Amino acid sequence: MIPELGLIFLIVSAITSILLGIITLAGSYKNNYYLLSYVKTLTGIMTFSLCASISCLLISFVIDDFTVAYVANNSNTQLALIYKVAAVWGGHEGSMLFWVVAMAIWGCIITFSTKYQDRAFINRFIAILSLVIAGFCLFMLFTSNPFARLLPNYPIEGRDLNPILQDIGLILHPPMLFLGYVGLTICFAGAISALLGEGLTKQKAAYLRPWVLAAWVFLTGGNAFGSWWAYNELGWGGWWFWDPVENASFIPWLVATALLHSVSMTHKRGQFGFTTIFLCILAFSLSLLGTFLVRSGVVQSVHAFASDPTRGVSILVLLIAYSGAALTLFAYKTSNLILKVDFAALSKESFLLLGNLVLVAAALSVLLGTCYPLIYEVVTGATISVGPPYFNSIFIPISVCVFILMGLTPLIKWQTASVTTLKTPAILAGASLLFAIVFTITSREEFSIWLLLGVFSVLWILSCILLSLWLFITNKDRSTSQELEAKDKRARTRFSAMCLAHLGVALSVFGATTVSNFEQEELLRMGPGNGKEVAGYTFVYEETQHIDRPSFTAIQAKIMVLDKHENLVTYIYPQRQTFKTNAMQMSAAGIHSSLFGDLYVSMGLALSETEYLIRISYKPFVNWLWIGALFMMFAGCLTIYNLRSVKEKKANDETPAIPSLLTREEVRS
Amino acid sequence: MRQIILSIIALTLSISLVFSFIADANADERVKPIADPIAYTADEIRNLGLGISRRLRCPKSVNQNLLDSQAPIASELKAQIFLMLNQGHSEEYIVNFMVERYGEKIRYMPSLSSGTTLLWLAPLLLVLLAILSVFFFIRPKMISRAEHVEISQIDGTKS
Repeated sequence: MIPELGLIFLIVSAITSILLGIITLAGSYKNNYYLLSYVKTLTGIMTFSLCASISCLLISFVIDDFTVAYVANNSNTQLALIYKVAAVWGGHEGSMLFWVVAMAIWGCIITFSTKYQDRAFINRFIAILSLVIAGFCLFMLFTSNPFARLLPNYPIEGRDLNPILQDIGLILHPPMLFLGYVGLTICFAGAISALLGEGLTKQKAAYLRPWVLAAWVFLTGGNAFGSWWAYNELGWGGWWFWDPVENASFIPWLVATALLHSVSMTHKRGQFGFTTIFLCILAFSLSLLGTFLVRSGVVQSVHAFASDPTRGVSILVLLIAYSGAALTLFAYKTSNLILKVDFAALSKESFLLLGNLVLVAAALSVLLGTCYPLIYEVVTGATISVGPPYFNSIFIPISVCVFILMGLTPLIKWQTASVTTLKTPAILAGASLLFAIVFTITSREEFSIWLLLGVFSVLWILSCILLSLWLFITNKDRSTSQELEAKDKRARTRFSAMCLAHLGVALSVFGATTVSNFEQEELLRMGPGNGKEVAGYTFVYEETQHIDRPSFTAIQAKIMVLDKHENLVTYIYPQRQTFKTNAMQMSAAGIHSSLFGDLYVSMGLALSETEYLIRISYKPFVNWLWIGALFMMFAGCLTIYNLRSVKEKKANDETPAIPSLLTREEVRS
Repeated sequence: MRQIILSIIALTLSISLVFSFIADANADERVKPIADPIAYTADEIRNLGLGISRRLRCPKSVNQNLLDSQAPIASELKAQIFLMLNQGHSEEYIVNFMVERYGEKIRYMPSLSSGTTLLWLAPLLLVLLAILSVFFFIRPKMISRAEHVEISQIDGTKS
């Protein structure tokens, strides 16, 4: 009964969202206020029925209703309640439902909020969003129905949730990533709504900016948390493998980062409205493309996600429909127009624009690398792999370009700057480079260009942040009137948030550079009584233990760690787990974590009766990667909070983003 | 401006053509027998062995390198790599040996050939395109000094 109710609610929301889209678009096109009076009602019905639908799925999980195929595939009676709840988004169908529900709730909050005074914009926005929701609902109803039944021969016991997913990581990482995707969809709807109206004005940019920031914070969290989870749980010791699934969430993050800077520029200066709109469309399309790559199984990934080629086609259809329509509209609205800009080649605007474009170039390069084995196989019939060495060798140089711009841009004035402002940064760059070269030569026997680039980036970003802080504090020519002082205070908060976010990037780069270049590793055969010294620590294999847990059995090595002075540091327990429900084997690494470095031990195959293949690593400063991401997220939240307190500007402030649009001929002349 | 862009595109295309010819010419003489064994130290063997097994893909498990993979074949290949290093083979020889046996797919770092020219050049082209388009779009317009000072006073920060 409950699953049927859920399905009915899903059908209701599909129909309501189609109605909402058509009625609202027709209403706002014809200025028909009778039609528009239904917007809030229909939005409410759509959101309510979607929430009801996901609640039905949740209830089915809690009461172990194995007649529902999705429940039977992802849960069993032994599973702890919290994992039953998390299993709602643990598989394909449920995660799609979660995605749609989050979209509807977010859209509903925006529609019912009294903060947005431009109702026409909000009406168009909810119309676009509901059309996206309609597409997703139809996709679920036709190809991946979460309420599909296994009648009459239903299993008594469910298959288990994938053992890898039974972790705190599952409860937090996927929802964050989906919320990031949802945020990008919200931005997409907003951008198209602005495009249908008078373009992205300062006011619309002010609406969009918190949404972009929220999406970016969620995406940052999703990526960082996913990486942390893989590092801790997957037992292969890596924190980033450039796997297609990882890339699928990293590519939208890169574009969202560009979008974040572009929308703030539109908000502040009223320029680059079309760049911002284009980046919104691009980010949304790339998140859909990523979903397609992950869910359809066309690319091989280490992160097992239930994949099925048939649903891949449907996602591709959605992608082509939405992106195609959006890009056509974009081309139609911007055809034969060229931007007239009021800034010089050396200005904050041009550097921001360049930075954004380089970020997009980085995103497209990663996308190409991810899809290349596929294209190559189709064209030549042979198979190749494109993996971490390739991605590192192209991504690191591009990101160094981004880092150089990132340090420089806050130091340059809006509109036009003189070459003399570049003098101090040039000295800083020279000093950083010099130190990096000396450090690289002295610290390692062989010269490593990657280490050089990493050290240079960290020093450069840090020194630029310090310099811009210094310039900000010593900036004397500030106005003293009351109104401007309040504005000044907000500007100060946003400036500190920017510094924090950039500091976060520096910390992450620092962590990545040290762990990639100074990791010390041993791969060896170990049994009880054996010992080995790695990075000044002595690891002694004491004994092999057998562990019995409700969901798995495991063999576990007890490894004692001593420091240089023979003092006990800790015991590390790497395991090889065998799950009872599906006999799947997994290795769980033992990690001793500290701010200065992790001791990482993982247990491999048995080599003899008593000996195992043991991998011991010392990973210096690896945690700083994720600490950096936390800084970025905190800075994002700070900015959202800061923007929230800004009151809506007066109506006469509403100037078009692009003050005048000239044809090519006019510019030439 | 247009001429500059066109000439840059033409230049990169011709470079890529030359590259692909060179790469294909090199392809035939990749696997050479060992001439004189290299005497590695124990540290070098460990670093090289771990490095090579990190750059090669496990033939069995899905998208994992030899070092991280837990499949039996990965252990065998790792042992093979260390054995060959002990015999004094060069890194290049070992990688080529593995590619001979398990195909181009085992290599995570795709080699430069006519088929992968696009893969290697596209990122460079994209970044060049980004830089060029900024210069293409920005037509400096004279702004009066007074107006500029006023704006930078109000918006003294980037946010």
